[in-house]
Amino acid sequence: MSVDPEMLMAYADGELGPIEARRVERAIAADPALAEQVAQHRALRAALSTRFAPVAEEPVPDRLAAMLRSNVVELPRPSARAKKLPGWARWGGAVAASLALGLVVGHSLQDPGYVRTRDGQLYASGALAGALDKQLASDQGAVLTPVSFRDAQGSYCRVFTSRAADGIACHGADGWTLRQTRPGAQQGKTDYAQAGSADPALMAAAQDMMSGDPLDAAAEAQARSAGWRR
Amino acid sequence: MAAFEDDLLALLPRLRRFARALARDAADADDLCQVALEKALRSRASWQPGTRMDSWMYRIMRNSWIDTARSRSRAAQTFVEEEAGLAVGVEGDAEGRLIQHDIDAAMHALPDEQREAVALVLIEGLAYKEAAEVLDIPMGTLTSRLVRGRQALMARLGEAA
Repeated sequence: MSVDPEMLMAYADGELGPIEARRVERAIAADPALAEQVAQHRALRAALSTRFAPVAEEPVPDRLAAMLRSNVVELPRPSARAKKLPGWARWGGAVAASLALGLVVGHSLQDPGYVRTRDGQLYASGALAGALDKQLASDQGAVLTPVSFRDAQGSYCRVFTSRAADGIACHGADGWTLRQTRPGAQQGKTDYAQAGSADPALMAAAQDMMSGDPLDAAAEAQARSAGWRR
Repeated sequence: MAAFEDDLLALLPRLRRFARALARDAADADDLCQVALEKALRSRASWQPGTRMDSWMYRIMRNSWIDTARSRSRAAQTFVEEEAGLAVGVEGDAEGRLIQHDIDAAMHALPDEQREAVALVLIEGLAYKEAAEVLDIPMGTLTSRLVRGRQALMARLGEAA
């Protein structure tokens, strides 16, 4: 079966539906050159994200910010101040993130039990923790776990998507730590999340954290039976 | 501060990133931001609350870029080709990380229509459908520009990419 370059690229970006994605996966299994091209697509995305990400972290020049603040008392700039905040600010950030996520989750699922905080760290709980523990990439449900991988420290990490929230969680001694969270891209669509539609930016973030390749189905099943312990 | 200005201010870091991917240097990128913000403030009546402001602003910025770039494209293109030529053969470091200059040169060697597709999808993280809407082109056109842009970048950046 032939896979055209557009389709292979769309596969690398997580833009294909489940049936098309399976077709591409079969073609990749039969042709290592295709797997290499998928890896190159993802590496290019990671390289470009890495190159341009610092621009969005820079303090916004005053002349631009001033255009949006004319006739208004000068306010402190959150983005410029964030970098100078001491260590405790990360704790505050985590709490703020959990509040934001709690609101999203609370509104859309009436289930604030997706997330808990401990010592300023966000952890998966309830149905999210259950899905991360038990589901394989191929499973369907309200939470999807399309990609599993090991990070630079060897911990198992999983990309998850749901109506309430998307993100990346990594397994440690205290369960699944949330490393990235954002409102679910599936929000307001169907009851069940759709496979193959994970946020490309999230996939790029996973790519950046990843050491080696994502786990294949066999490695994922093995990691699950070992309780995701590294 | 009005909510409209507030939302624009919150978007500004991402807009500056998009501008940096389109324009050829940081100074041009911030000039482009200024032009786009002026245009957004003037046409705030066309903003529909409840729709995505980021897509609306990306579109304004991209159109501003086309307007300003057209007048100087000939001179800039000559210069960019020379600069890009210098980058050929420059290796990444031991981990294969590409230096900023290589990526910038490769981006600017792309035709505008490919660079804007690459910037929206690979740098700004838009889904194909969202990027096609910002650029006001069909999905098929978006994916073909995107695939050609990526192939050109990969060829220029070599194995390390």
